[in-house]
Amino acid sequence: METSASRRFKQNVPLLWMFIPGAVFYLLFKYTPMAGLVIAFKDYNLYDGIVRSPWVGLDHFRLIFSNDLTIDIIVNTLWLSLLRLVVGFPFPILLALLLNEVRATWFKRSVQTMVFLPHFFSWVIVGGIVLTLFSQESGSLNILLERWFGYTHSFMYQVPSWITIYLGSGIWKEAGFSAIIYMAALAAIDPVLYEAAAIDGASKWRQIWHITLPGVSTVVVMMLILSMGSIMEVSFDQIYILGNPAVSSVSEVISTWVYQLGLQGGQFSLTTAMGLFESLVGLLLILTANQIARRMGKELW
Amino acid sequence: MRASAGEKVFYAVNYLVLLIAGMLCFLPLVHIFATSFSDPGMIMAGRVTLWPLQWNWDSYKALFMGTRIMGAFGNSIVITLVGVICSMTASIAVAYPLSKDYFYCRRFFSLAIIFTMIFSGGLIPNYLLVKSLGLVNTYWALWLPGLISTYNMWVMKTFFQNIPRELEDAARIDGCGELRLIMRIVLPVSVPMIVAISLFYGVAYWNNFFNVLIYMNDTSKYNLAVLVQQMIFSASNPQLAIEPDLQRAIAPEGVKAAGVLVMVMPILIAYPFVQKHFVKGVMIGSLKG
Repeated sequence: METSASRRFKQNVPLLWMFIPGAVFYLLFKYTPMAGLVIAFKDYNLYDGIVRSPWVGLDHFRLIFSNDLTIDIIVNTLWLSLLRLVVGFPFPILLALLLNEVRATWFKRSVQTMVFLPHFFSWVIVGGIVLTLFSQESGSLNILLERWFGYTHSFMYQVPSWITIYLGSGIWKEAGFSAIIYMAALAAIDPVLYEAAAIDGASKWRQIWHITLPGVSTVVVMMLILSMGSIMEVSFDQIYILGNPAVSSVSEVISTWVYQLGLQGGQFSLTTAMGLFESLVGLLLILTANQIARRMGKELW
Repeated sequence: MRASAGEKVFYAVNYLVLLIAGMLCFLPLVHIFATSFSDPGMIMAGRVTLWPLQWNWDSYKALFMGTRIMGAFGNSIVITLVGVICSMTASIAVAYPLSKDYFYCRRFFSLAIIFTMIFSGGLIPNYLLVKSLGLVNTYWALWLPGLISTYNMWVMKTFFQNIPRELEDAARIDGCGELRLIMRIVLPVSVPMIVAISLFYGVAYWNNFFNVLIYMNDTSKYNLAVLVQQMIFSASNPQLAIEPDLQRAIAPEGVKAAGVLVMVMPILIAYPFVQKHFVKGVMIGSLKG
């Protein structure tokens, strides 16, 4: 009779073999770059490499936090993503609530099919659609404006309309797909509750107010906390594709700045310092979010 | 149960709002389709709305003859197919051991992997690593750093954990080894999840824009996303290597629309068949793992 320890070992051998390539992947492509963050404290140059480049301590961070341009970029990042969260957050919930009240299955299915679709488009596609609709010379909206009122508006080149397009395109792309999680929560509500309420004479509105909304409230709170953790994240693709020099005062964010100055300008250390700052704030936010969630008995890990 | 007047109004408004929402998502695409097949004169005059006016293939002719779109299309397919196969194999190989409670150091490995989701080295260290490994300008720069999406892998792990234990125990008693167990029992019962995750990976590879932009130096290695982006945004007139006659006959808007349509076409074709799998994938992912 073999002992349970040796049996466990036998069972583990194939698992460990399977696991090795993945472990190498995580070490090489996830943990090695973390070690590479050390160049944020060095004056990295290609000739000396990471190890031998001279140490400069916190110089790059001092530069970042004393320069108006970089502070603007950090503010833009926070501002755009905060706007996106606040404005975009209610849409998936609303959509899920509306879909939940649809009885005709074929109609529900068709609407779902249409609203999920944009999620699978690349920002390149969304950008192409945005230009088709809003560009000054040939955008459909401007052609209509020209025809009806005799003037055109440069939607892509003015800050207020650009921000509206930025927010609108984000909602257009993701609201439908984000609704899935709320729809799952709504589907989990016991139908008996509705039947009982209907027998008691509760109107549609009272049913929504007293049964549906409490039923999704935990998921809503969870998603709200989760989204807090992503305040530092602004999609590079979206900004890079929709942005243009005329609106760079609001559209230049950390990721596009790192791309331009780091990858194209070769200022690796300075931009790594910015990246480290971004990662640390992100880490802090997600840990805080998890703490809050834990208080509510809903921690993520 | 009869609906009251108030409820009738509620349902009518609800259906109307949803119909508008659905149309808002769908009609822009119809407009792109109409533009790409319309006569250039009609496009320039802004007459095209939701149906092609004077059916015309010139935009596509200019697109296929004047740009590298065929090459980019092929590149996108290679990137997507190889990428999905590599990513799926690697993700399963990590997710399966992590789903077993008898796996050594399971908690440590799980935490070490989850940590990479909330903290990362960021763009520049990643780029320098890929560069020092000599992967720049090869597709390995896309496949290797993106091999495992931790989120997708975690969805798999959760799914494997929920497979009834009795299934495995029965196979084990019959003398089935771990590898045979995976091949004969675990993977076959996981087909819906495997389809869903493959699709997640597939869409991500197909739409990959940023990594192709930063890692590919040769324009001949561009995928559709980068090629179409440059075509749409570089200038008001795409640079086309076509004879002057055709150049005069086309509208830039039409060619751009055709490019967009070529890029979404595979997604649109696959979408109706795979939609339920996508939804299922999100549902599995939303379970606490």
